[in-house]
Amino acid sequence: MQDYEVFLQQLITGLSNGMIIALVALGYTMVYGIIELINFAHGDVFMLGAFLALTLLGALGMEAWPSHWQLAGVAIMLLASAGFCGCLNWSLDRVAYRPLRRASKLSLLVSAIGCSFICTNLGLFWGGMPMEVFAGGVAAAAPKDFPQLIPQFNILGESAIRIVPADVAVLVVTVPLMIALVYLVKRTRLGRAMRAVAQDATAAALMGIPVDRVIGITFFIGGALGGFASVVYALYNNTIGFQMGYRAGMDAFTAAVLGGIGSLPGAVLGGLTIGCVRAMSDQYVETRWTNTIVFGILILILIFRPSGLLGSTRREKV
Amino acid sequence: MRWRPGPIVCILGIAAVLPLIELFLPQPAHVSEAVRGVFLYAILALGLNVVTGYAGLLNLGIAAFMAIGAYAFAILTCEIYPFQIGFWPGLLLTLPVGALAGFLLGAPTLRLRGDYLAIVTLGFGEIVQDVLKNLDVVTKGTQGINPVPAPSLGGTMWTAEDEYKWYYLLLALLIVVILAIRNLERSRLGRAWFSIREDELASRSMGIRVERIKMLAFSAAAAIAAFAGGLSTSVLSSTGEPSNYDFQVSILALCIVIVGGIGSIVGVLVGALVMIGLNSIVLVKATAVLETMGIGGQSNVLLSPNNWKYLIFGLALVLAVRLKPHGLVPPRIERRAT
Amino acid sequence: MKKQPLFALALVFTSAMTAVTLAQSTETKGTLTIISSLPRTGSANAQTTTIVNGIKLAIAEVNGQVDGWTIAYQDLDDASPQRGNWDGALEAQNANAATKDPSCVAYIGTFNSGAAKMAMPILNRAGIVMVSPANTYPGLTKPGKGEPNEPMVYRPSGKINYFRIVPTDDLQGVQAADWAKQLGAKKVFILHDRELYGKGIADVFQAHAKTISVEVVGFEGTDSKAANYRSLVTKIKAVSPDLVYFGGTTQTNAGQIAKDLRTGGYEGMYMVPDGCFEQAFIEAAGDSNLNDKTYITFGGLPADQLLGRGANFREAYRAKYGGDPEAYAAYGYEAARVVLQAIANAKTMDRAGILAAVAATRDFDGVLGKWSFDANGDTSSQVLSGQTVTNGKFAFVKVLGG
Repeated sequence: MQDYEVFLQQLITGLSNGMIIALVALGYTMVYGIIELINFAHGDVFMLGAFLALTLLGALGMEAWPSHWQLAGVAIMLLASAGFCGCLNWSLDRVAYRPLRRASKLSLLVSAIGCSFICTNLGLFWGGMPMEVFAGGVAAAAPKDFPQLIPQFNILGESAIRIVPADVAVLVVTVPLMIALVYLVKRTRLGRAMRAVAQDATAAALMGIPVDRVIGITFFIGGALGGFASVVYALYNNTIGFQMGYRAGMDAFTAAVLGGIGSLPGAVLGGLTIGCVRAMSDQYVETRWTNTIVFGILILILIFRPSGLLGSTRREKV
Repeated sequence: MRWRPGPIVCILGIAAVLPLIELFLPQPAHVSEAVRGVFLYAILALGLNVVTGYAGLLNLGIAAFMAIGAYAFAILTCEIYPFQIGFWPGLLLTLPVGALAGFLLGAPTLRLRGDYLAIVTLGFGEIVQDVLKNLDVVTKGTQGINPVPAPSLGGTMWTAEDEYKWYYLLLALLIVVILAIRNLERSRLGRAWFSIREDELASRSMGIRVERIKMLAFSAAAAIAAFAGGLSTSVLSSTGEPSNYDFQVSILALCIVIVGGIGSIVGVLVGALVMIGLNSIVLVKATAVLETMGIGGQSNVLLSPNNWKYLIFGLALVLAVRLKPHGLVPPRIERRAT
Repeated sequence: MKKQPLFALALVFTSAMTAVTLAQSTETKGTLTIISSLPRTGSANAQTTTIVNGIKLAIAEVNGQVDGWTIAYQDLDDASPQRGNWDGALEAQNANAATKDPSCVAYIGTFNSGAAKMAMPILNRAGIVMVSPANTYPGLTKPGKGEPNEPMVYRPSGKINYFRIVPTDDLQGVQAADWAKQLGAKKVFILHDRELYGKGIADVFQAHAKTISVEVVGFEGTDSKAANYRSLVTKIKAVSPDLVYFGGTTQTNAGQIAKDLRTGGYEGMYMVPDGCFEQAFIEAAGDSNLNDKTYITFGGLPADQLLGRGANFREAYRAKYGGDPEAYAAYGYEAARVVLQAIANAKTMDRAGILAAVAATRDFDGVLGKWSFDANGDTSSQVLSGQTVTNGKFAFVKVLGG
């Protein structure tokens, strides 16, 4: 491989990984934007979405389907996981966060940490499900293989640079979702209500906006994005495990902050940045320093841009 | 704020006689050993409480300072390094080392707002772990540094079997830390911390040098965490591997502070007792009992008590903040306000 | 003060526990306890479950009785939920619990070599025999292989009480490099998970590869929590090695690396150590990614190559737990059998007697072959085997070394 080919290949890998991170980060940033909660459970909700997808895949026997039907299968998994994660995230808000609206932010944070532990444990139980796709559930904690529904071949033919259909699939799923999300937040009544609640919940309530419902819907949408992301992640990496939520959540949270937490384009930019920095560091530095480099860059950027790349530099209220 | 010594003295008093009670039990319970973990986490959480409870700065990387203290202590005292300065000097030196680390991280980043600072501390935690792992020439990587010397005082040595000696040593050091923090809390500096937590802008206009005050809180917390790190290393006689000081430890310390009662020393003590007690005493013993009762057919993931620990721990957290949003023992200052 | 439900709950729990504990104390005098300390919470659970199954099977085979003594077994966890991995404080706590339990005569553990470092000095002073089914870090037993102060630092009493039934990394790494050369590898790229086990074995592999003039074109520590390794694979492909060696385990993502190597278009060989010799590795990697180009080394013979005792073990395990035993199950089973035999042979039925009997284990007819403990407490069995993967199953290739 030529040097420029290596660079381009790493860029492709970085962007694909970054897109997935961005999709998870959007869920973080939406929830943060509206109630200033770092939703620690988000990564684990995402993880459970992937488990649901694998369960469906096994229950419907999708591996045996003809290949064009498998595309429909992917669509089914995407919708089911999105719906499931949305509902789960909504329920977490209803049960564990809403009663704490008036409590301090830190109590809310601990509640989210608790939910994260609970979801992780549910993932462990789920891994013990006696199904073929979970290897009979004998080793619940072991990583699970997620079958390759998307064929693995190089779209560019014999070129040294490899683009596999999974790379394309990441793009095909995430970009429309991001566009739809921006449209929703910027152009619809619901989006206006969300922004109003984010700005000032009390004032929004006085204007007749059902604040709790809007927050609930935000959680639903954030979770649903996590659900979509989980299927994309599973198809791209072909492995899921009950502890995958930790790293996914950490990356996404970092991306959200890097981009400016609360900002939708920021989350996408942050995700892509982290994906690319990871790939380049793996290539040109050393894998073992990649985490250090990612967080080092994060700290450096925050020193010079204290509200992230695209965050609003609004002054605190007096 | 008048200091009413009541609850703290009660808790420490109970702690002081606990081993005696244990001696008279018909069946040895061996709780006091696990309680040592409570003491260590209590010291760590008291440190976190200074920065997060008093000064209101969310720190998600307190374990990093614990790691720095642990490794500094080990490198200064272990027989495979040239320094070998001994237990007490080593333990005392963790304080300035921790404070310096806190200063180096805090100086450029403390002007960040709330959760941006939180992620910087989180990232710092990851960086410290990676550096400790990767610089294996100095830190022995994942091998851990051992043996780390145990304390000796006037001719008496502490060995791993001296359960009660360790117990009282840790208790004594915990009391020293409590006294120190108690004094800080009631000092001019302590009042400045409370004031920037309540209203940064107002404090600034009252002439408080906010950056400097934050810096002091940050460094003090780092120093106490490093002290806890050095101490825990000595208890185990090894640093363990760098991931022993990972994000989960920071999170546990945070949960102790918040579940116990943020900003309250009694709260932190109670929080440490409840959280670590649940984790390493109740869950451990309960699992053992269930196992001996024959529950734990390993074929089914649901039937193994070990597999329920995360769930129970998580539920406890959710329930605790739901039932007591201000903590089990909220600080008096907040009680008065409501 | 308001009610504090958590306290109430804790109180009820504690009193219930005390009641149960007291109820147990009416046991007969002749009980000997074997304690195992393994990470039972979190990612290693899959393997430790098979080890515990193996131990339980060995005890069940003698109906929990040896010479009229009742054998009790306690499965302790050295991992805490907040860590999800082994926890030094808990390991020390388990070891201390063992020393304080007068009926405890043997300690089976640990899983992680790092944890062994904590438990070893404690158990050594108490004179309890410790048999590890999984520690492979050489410094625990072999002078000159680890730090200068090892292994004496783990033996404060000066006596040896620690034994292990697995060959150490310094053997396996060497054999693996030799095998790689025999397989025709001229250029190797070495990865490791930066853990004590993975890094240790990769270091040995690298050192030996150089002496047998196999070119090492890369040596990198990986991030075991990464979602994928595609960028690393690009880097590997750019230097076109014939073989990629990964010092690591299923838990540190050996399966994902196999997957990404294939997805990324790498077509060479892939070799991993015995930390991956478990069905979970094949399942995590997806068998199509492993077929015929993946090589696994293992300290001992795989279950299906075992004759006599090993075959019986396989059948018994299958009957009791369903499914084939993993390699780790055999380690657990073997460790427990060594202890049980020592109890039967002990001259005095106390810790010292049983320790002496374990140390005297010679020509043990075990599931891993016939072996003895040497003067350091290591197994004499230096037989390693090489496996490949065919159609989703491990397939024995050959015996390595000898």
